[in-house]
Amino acid sequence: MAPILEIRDLSFTYEGAQSPIFEHLSLAVEEGSHILLKGASGTGKSSLLRLICRLASPTSGTILYRGEPITAISPPKLRSAIGYVAQIPRMTDGSVKENLLLPFTFALNRERRKPDEDALRRMLSDFYLDDLKLTHPALKLSTGQQQRLALMRTLLLKPDLLLLDEPTSALDALSARMVFTIMERLNTREQKTLVTVTHSDYRPSGAHVELYLLQNRTLTRQP
Amino acid sequence: MTSIIDISIGQLLLALVFILLAQLSSFIFQLSLHRDIAIGTVRTFAQLFLMGYVLTYILHSDSVFLVIGVFVVMVSSAIFIIKGRVNEKQVAYLLPTFITMLLSYFVTAVFVSGLIIGSSPWWEPRYFIPAGGMVIGNSMSALAISIERFFKDLRQERELVEMKLCLGAGYREASAEQFRAAVKAGMIPSINAMMGVGLVFIPGMMSGQILAGADPMIAIRYQIVVMLMLVGATAVSSVSVMLLIRRRCFGSGEELLLTKE
Repeated sequence: MAPILEIRDLSFTYEGAQSPIFEHLSLAVEEGSHILLKGASGTGKSSLLRLICRLASPTSGTILYRGEPITAISPPKLRSAIGYVAQIPRMTDGSVKENLLLPFTFALNRERRKPDEDALRRMLSDFYLDDLKLTHPALKLSTGQQQRLALMRTLLLKPDLLLLDEPTSALDALSARMVFTIMERLNTREQKTLVTVTHSDYRPSGAHVELYLLQNRTLTRQP
Repeated sequence: MTSIIDISIGQLLLALVFILLAQLSSFIFQLSLHRDIAIGTVRTFAQLFLMGYVLTYILHSDSVFLVIGVFVVMVSSAIFIIKGRVNEKQVAYLLPTFITMLLSYFVTAVFVSGLIIGSSPWWEPRYFIPAGGMVIGNSMSALAISIERFFKDLRQERELVEMKLCLGAGYREASAEQFRAAVKAGMIPSINAMMGVGLVFIPGMMSGQILAGADPMIAIRYQIVVMLMLVGATAVSSVSVMLLIRRRCFGSGEELLLTKE
C-alpha cells in the first residue's frame, strides 16, 4: 500500500533568498505512524509542513498524498483531508461553539454532519476543557486553551493526517503535557497519522514513532 | 437668470491679495512656506490656463475620438495617482484596475450624459467630459482606499486567512471578511456625502452652476444625478476591481501570496 504521505526530492527556497532552506528531501510517512521532526530554528521544519498543505510552493520536487500529487487535488479538499494546526492558534471573534463549527460554514464541508452540542461538550472534556462553556468568547481564552480548541476544530473534519507545528511551544508545562497526551491518544487509539514539528525533548509512546532531524538542509532519521 | 460676470485680467490679479496675505503669514511666523506658496501660485495660473485652452478646444470639438481620447488620458492619470497611494509590489493590480475603471466609468458617463441628461450626441463634450471627470475623480479615491485596505488587511490577518484555508475554505471564503471591509471602506465617503449634501456643504459642481447663472432648481437636479452616479459607479468599480485583484493575491494552490513586510 502506498504511504499516506510521500515527499520526493523536495527543495525549497524562500522568495528573494539566495540559497535553499533545504534541498532534495525525501520522506515516506506510513499510515498510523507518528513522525517527530526536530531541528534548530530556521532549518525549514515549519516550511516543510506548509508545503505539504500547499500554503507555499516548493522550488522543486513532489509531494504525494495517498499516491497522488497534491497539486492534482483541489486545495480545499486536500486541506480538509490533511489537518494542519499552526504554531499560534487563531480564533475568530465568536463563541467557542462558533469557532468549533467554523469549518462547517465553508462550502466544501457544508454537507458533512455537524456535531451536536453534546458531542462538542464530550470532546471538550476529552481535551481537558470540562469547565469551558460553548458560549464563552474564544478570543478570551488562554493560548493553551485556544491551542486545544484549534486542534479540536481541525479534528472535527476527521482528517487522516495531522500536521502539528510546535503545538506546545506557546504553552505552559501543564497545558503542554495535556496536548502531548491528546496527541498520543490520537495516534495510538484513533490510529491518526501525525507529523509533529517540535523543539522539546518529548518522545511520545507508541509503536510507530519515528524521529527525524532537519539540519544542514537535509533530513536524517535518528535512532 | 443673469449670465456670468467676466473676470478681467486686472481683477484676476487682484486675487493675488490672498497670496500676499499667505506670504505675509509665512514671513512673520517663519513658516518657511514662501517658496511653496510662490510655486503653487504660478502652477495654479499655468495649469488652469492650459486646461482652459484645452477645454475650450475640446468643448467645441465634434470628434468622438478626441473626446474618448481625453477620457482615456483622464483614467490613465487616475491610475498613476492610485499607484502612488497604494504602493504595492507583490501583486500586479494595476492592469485589472485600469481596465475596470475604463469600462465602468465609460458606461457610467455614457449613461449619465446620453440617457439621464439626454445630450445629443451621447459624447457631447460639455456633458460627457465633466460627468467622466467627476466619476473618475471620486471613484479613484474610493478605489485607492479599498485596494490599500485589502492588501493591508490580508497581510495583517494572514494567519487568520490561512487558518480558514486549512479548514477547507476556498480562497474566496477565507478572504471574505477582508473583501467586505475593503469595499465598504471605499464606499463610505460617497455614502456619507449623500447624507451631508445640501446641509453641511454645497458641492463644487452645483456652486459652479449657480455662479454661472443657472437656476438653482436645475443645479440641484444635476447634483442629485452626480451624487447617485458616484455611489453606483464606486460600488460597481470597487467590487469588480476587488474581485479581480483578490484572485491575484492567491496562488494556484489557493495559498495567500502576500507576505508580511
